[in-house]
Order: sequence, then C-alpha cells, then structure tokens
Amino acid sequence: MALLQDAEKLTGEAEVRGSVYRDPEIFRRELERIWYKVWVYVGHESEVPNPGDFVRRQIGLQPVVMARGEDGKVRVFYNRCRHRANLLCLAERGNEKEFACPYHGWTYANTGELIAPTFGDGYDHDLERERFGLTPLARQDSYRGLVFASVAREGPSLAEHLGGVTEFLDLFIDLSPQGEIELNAGAHKVSYRGNWKYMPENSMEGDYHGPFIHNVAFDLYARRTGFDVNDLATDEVENVILSLPGGHMVEDYRGAPINPPKREPSPERQDYIRQMKKRHGEEKAAQMLSTMAPLLYVFPNLMYVITHIRVVQPVSAGHTHSYYFPVMLKGAPDEINDARLSDHEFMFGSAGFVSPDDVEIMERNQIGMRAHGNDNDWLYIGRGLHRERLLANGARGGMTRDETQLRGFWRHYVSLMEGDA
Amino acid sequence: MIDLGAVSAFVYREARLMDELDYDAWFALWREDAIYHVPVDHNASAGSRQVSIIKDDYTRLEQRIDRLKSGSVLAVEGQKGRARRIVSNIEILNEGEGGEVEVGSNFMLGIARTAEQQLWIGRTIHRLCPTEDDFRIARKTVLLINSDREMPLLQFLI
Repeated sequence: MALLQDAEKLTGEAEVRGSVYRDPEIFRRELERIWYKVWVYVGHESEVPNPGDFVRRQIGLQPVVMARGEDGKVRVFYNRCRHRANLLCLAERGNEKEFACPYHGWTYANTGELIAPTFGDGYDHDLERERFGLTPLARQDSYRGLVFASVAREGPSLAEHLGGVTEFLDLFIDLSPQGEIELNAGAHKVSYRGNWKYMPENSMEGDYHGPFIHNVAFDLYARRTGFDVNDLATDEVENVILSLPGGHMVEDYRGAPINPPKREPSPERQDYIRQMKKRHGEEKAAQMLSTMAPLLYVFPNLMYVITHIRVVQPVSAGHTHSYYFPVMLKGAPDEINDARLSDHEFMFGSAGFVSPDDVEIMERNQIGMRAHGNDNDWLYIGRGLHRERLLANGARGGMTRDETQLRGFWRHYVSLMEGDA
Repeated sequence: MIDLGAVSAFVYREARLMDELDYDAWFALWREDAIYHVPVDHNASAGSRQVSIIKDDYTRLEQRIDRLKSGSVLAVEGQKGRARRIVSNIEILNEGEGGEVEVGSNFMLGIARTAEQQLWIGRTIHRLCPTEDDFRIARKTVLLINSDREMPLLQFLI
C-alpha cells in the first residue's frame, strides 16, 4: 500500500484513484496523451462503400470525416474548412462529389483537394491550391476494413499497436463465410453521465457483474432461445479473461463451449456451416461455431460485443457517448443476419434489456465516485491477482470473473499518462 | 365513419396507462399480431434490416412488460420517475376495411429522474382495429425527434 502515501500516483498494482474518472484536468491530459497520440478507430470501410460516401466521426473532441474519394480510396480528414475553420460537413453521413463550405463557399473534392476558393479574383493568383486542401490525419491505416487514424505524426505502427489482438478480431470477422463484415444496419447512439473508461471496463468484465445486474434479461433470453448465458460462464474458466500488451482486453470463450441447439439446422445454415468448414478447416470451424466469439476491446475506443462493434466517445470527464453498430456477416444467410439484428435489439440500445443496466450502473458509479474525502478515493481491482498467469507474448490470463484485464488496461493507461510527454 | 372522439379517448387512455405504469392494462390493449416499432431512421420500415430502438412483436412485448414489472432491473429503477405526457394533434389519417383506422398524434413526455428532468418529444402512428366497444392496437410506430441522436436510457413505455 506504499502508493497510498504517494499523492501523485493514479493507480497501484490493484488500485485505481477515483479522480481519473472525475477530474477535468486528467481528462484534458487524456486528450493530449491518449486520444491525440495513439491509433483511434474511426469507422469501417463498409460504411462508405461507394465513391463520395462519407460519415462524420470524432477523434477525441476533434470532428473528422471519413470519405471514399472518386479514386476509391478511403481517407480521414479534419472536418474543418481550410478558409476560416467552419464545420465543413454537417450531415452524419451522405454522398458528395464535392464538399462545399456553407460559410464562404470554398469547395473541396471528395479526395480532399481544394477545387476553388470563391471570388478567386480577390486572391493573389499565387494562392496555392495544394496548400489549402483538407488536412488529413497525420497517419491512417486499416486492418480488415477497420480504419484507424492517429493525430501523432510518429509512433508505433498500427500493426504494432494492435499486436496480439488481431487474433481475436479475426475470430469474429471470420464468422462471415467471405471473411468480411458489413456495418450497414445503422447504429444505436447512447449518451450517459459518466466517464468514458467505464464503458470498456464494464463491457469487458467477464461475468463478475452479470449475475447481479443482468439476471432478469438473461432469464428472458434463455426462455426465448434456450441458450442460458449462465451455462457459459457460471463456473470459473481459466484464461477467459485476457489482458494484452497495449491495454487491449479480451474475453476469450474458446474454452467454454455452448451446448449445441437441439433443433436441426435449416438448409441455409447447413450450407453456411459447409462454407465455414471449407474456409477454415473442420476443426477450427467447429470451434468457431460451438463457442461464442470473443468480446474484445482495442485501446482506446473500439469494442466488439456479441452482436456489434461498439465505439466509446468521450465528451467530458463526466459525460460520454457510445455507438453500437450491428455487425452483419457478408455472405451469411439472411436467417443468421436477421437473428443477429434481432438479438442485438433484444440486448442493446437505450430500450434494450441488457446494456441499459450497465449504463445505469455507470451513471451511479459517477455519483458514487464523488464521495472521495478522507483518503477514500481508491477503487480496488484485485480479484485474481494471486493467480494471474503470464502467457505467451506478454499477455496475462485470469478466470471468468477476475480483474486481470482491468489491471492491464490501467498499466497501459498509466504508461501513457505518467510517462514523459 | 370512425368517431374521432372515440379514437381520441383510446389514445388518451393508452397515454395515461403508460404514465401510471399500469403495465397489465396497457398490454391488454394490444393484438397478438401487433408490431411496436421505434425506429432509429424514420424512413426505415419495421421489415428492413436497419437497427431499431424498439422492434417488438407480441412475444417480445410481453418480455418487455415482464422485465419492467420484475422490480429488480436497475435501469428501470433508475428511470422510474414521475412521468406525464401531453398527447395532442390527434388526426385520423386513414380508414381501412372493417373499421381499421390509422391515427396520428404528437406527444411531449416529461420525466423527473433523480438528477435531471428529461423531455421526450415525438409523433405516434397508431393502427387501431375496432372491437365490440373499443379498439385494439395492431401497430404502433413512434418517431422520436432525437431517434438518431445520442440518447439517454429509454426504460419506460413510449
């Protein structure tokens, strides 16, 4: 407990200081040291399938646009006119051959070049158009259609940033018989009065809180589908909970098979199973189809949770937005994608039966966190500390209800927040 | 000819049952082939593959009611405040075979939560089927003005 005497430390081996969820100054430091430094997930290429398609997004608090140009390339730009900084693109999504600034009419190609300032005769004829194109993010890269960008000009490559988490990204993307996901079914957008870090922490929590806050929903789900979530994780299974270097968190259910459905699969589903076996081999396909795909978190803002890609978007220390994009499996039978969407609506969104309980908890957490007097401001995340296992490639494993992954998240967080800027 | 007065009385009664958390009486207003739809995208039909805030058939609607009634759901507890809604602008939009009627109305719903007062605004389209002396809901579509914006929990009847 040496750290308790150290007024500066944000965390200990199994402790987190409450101010990291509350303090506007720490939030400001997070923007500079995390959101404007590391790779941040922006969107999926399938959201902009055609030339001219665009979506509005944010990196930290900065508005950006992800657009597919006439040349077919996907680019991420700051959403700001180069003339006098007006918000260039107001629509959430759309298709534009050109982006025209509503303020003074400067226009840009969907590839980012300035086409023309307006009333051009008032500018020196040397006004260099190439100097005034839309500003791209300093770095951009993608993994299997997932587009990431970074404000920082230098830093680890995307491959280095993702590290071992790609194995788990592959596991859900490969549920598509063509190996491609599509984010084309819209999104739930939620807002809560709590810190952004609750979202990854709570979403990747394994089964510690499930029996307390989701029991009614799990019971309803079991009655509906015959699949009892409690069968999956009631007992403590080793290495379900993973902490990967880089602050990523995983719930890996490969060691916890689901009881197979009693019903004979439909011809469409049998065809899907055949395609999966052809693509991945008998053994791997059988494993993928008999276990739940991993839940995962890619530091700092990307999650995959059962049915959807979830993005966490900070607004302020005590206010967060989150977006849930149902993942459709390209080439899978309608039956499977329809069931995925229906399951998604059952569980998630503001009126769902599962995630609202998490959101309620996060809002109450923010209130509880205010009670911090008399050296009372430490959270404890020590479950399973004594049995945490060091795995290959620097990963650490814990049992279904351990807090191993949270400790890994905070180690990485602190390495960014407390190191030299 | 459908009587606007009778239709309006039904819509007002449904609103009161929602405000007063009279779940069983509210659920009894629905037909078993009903669809209850709160889309994110106002232009997306219930049959399209676009995610909805609520897309309930009768079975799921019953689950929704079971959950709201269970008394042990945190989110419901946190949202269960004092709620009152004003329903207005009631119009008969269409009359179909056998007295089926499509009714449009607007609402403003105020909810006093623990730490804030919320205002929810939207338009409701009811498709009502006549019974001997009343109506039953065949379809209800609620178009929230903020359906595609970041929204707080919607753990109440709308």
